[in-house]
Amino acid sequence: MNTLNINHVRAPRMLALASAVTFAVAGCATAPQSPDGSADVRSKLSALQSNSTLAKKVPVEIREAEAAVVIAEATVGKDVALGEHRVYMADHLVEIATAKAATRNAEDQRAMLSQKRDEARLAARTREADKAHRATELAQSKTEAERALAVAAAAKASSNAAEAAANAKEMQRQIDVLQAEATDRGLVLTLGDVLFATGRSDLKSGGTNTLDKLVVFLNEYPGRTVAIEGHTDDVGSLDMNQILSQHRADSVRSYLMQKGIQSVRLAASGMGETRPIAENSSESGRQQNRRVEVIIKNPPSAIPAASTN
Amino acid sequence: MPVLNRIIRMYRLFIVASLAGGMLLIAGCASAPMAPIASLNEAKVAIQVAEKDGASQHAAAELDEARQKLILADKAVVAENMLLAQRFADESTVTAKLAAARTEATKAVAINQDMIRSADALAEEMKRAGDQQ
Repeated sequence: MNTLNINHVRAPRMLALASAVTFAVAGCATAPQSPDGSADVRSKLSALQSNSTLAKKVPVEIREAEAAVVIAEATVGKDVALGEHRVYMADHLVEIATAKAATRNAEDQRAMLSQKRDEARLAARTREADKAHRATELAQSKTEAERALAVAAAAKASSNAAEAAANAKEMQRQIDVLQAEATDRGLVLTLGDVLFATGRSDLKSGGTNTLDKLVVFLNEYPGRTVAIEGHTDDVGSLDMNQILSQHRADSVRSYLMQKGIQSVRLAASGMGETRPIAENSSESGRQQNRRVEVIIKNPPSAIPAASTN
Repeated sequence: MPVLNRIIRMYRLFIVASLAGGMLLIAGCASAPMAPIASLNEAKVAIQVAEKDGASQHAAAELDEARQKLILADKAVVAENMLLAQRFADESTVTAKLAAARTEATKAVAINQDMIRSADALAEEMKRAGDQQ
């Protein structure tokens, strides 16, 4: 009220007095009479203002809050209710400013987050594209590998087939050389009586040509085993012929063993006169019956080409 | 003349009485002001805005306080304590605005957290997909 009165006084000399009175009033108004809680509101506002990042986002709200805090800090005398009301208003305005600052801050961060998310998405897409690309490449290389493998397998198969064919051909040639006969027991090589003199079991020196071919064959096919059967004509007793046929078979076996064929591959047996292949009534028939049959047994997994051809 | 003097004296008295009555009337108006309709309406609008924002979910305490303050303001009007009604109306308004502001802040922060989570999830997924290769 004093200040109001002083304003009406035109005399400049009153200025000093006015200042003095104003100071006096201000002095009385401050320290002890600021309402309870106003200091708390002031510190809360100061905290917000000192956070320059947040404060910059809500200048209008801070200004309003500041004005309310100034009012709250003013003396109210004994009107405690008025002081409480002003503190309440100021406190809420500061809180509103704080909340709005948080909102704006979040909104501003959102642009950054959105950019970050876009980057993550881009990275994801790039990665997916790379992955797809790699998968395609992998598939391509896989296909190529498979194709190569298939070609190799086909080549191998064909070479196997060619080899098998060649083998079969070679074996057939060998069989032809031996003049063997393919039977279900195996290849049967009949050594005529030209090998032996009548009643003798030792081999004639000039007749081993066929046996030598057999040695070559057996060396070529080491898996093959041989059964050597001796046969005679009906001249003489059965026992005698049995022994003779056995001896002749043993003779052939011994010869083959001398040429390096393992004994385990060679089985010799005498059949006597029990299995004639011709009439014993004629000389030519008896000659055919005097023989040694060398049976080259088919291997466990028989080569059909050899037997069917 | 005495008659005239009496009339004049009575007239003066009337003037004085009238003035005094007028003064009293003015004083009466000043001490018992009109209800703060505008402030009460402002509080109601602020509460409605906060409700619409979803303050009952995100700032239930503040919204409730704003409603209580409005009820107190209405009671003060009934009690013809218009000063108190004004203060409660203002407090109701500022509290409702705070409810709305806090609701907005909560929602904004939630949106950001959602974005961070989804970005992290995407990154994590990519990392896993990368590991599988």
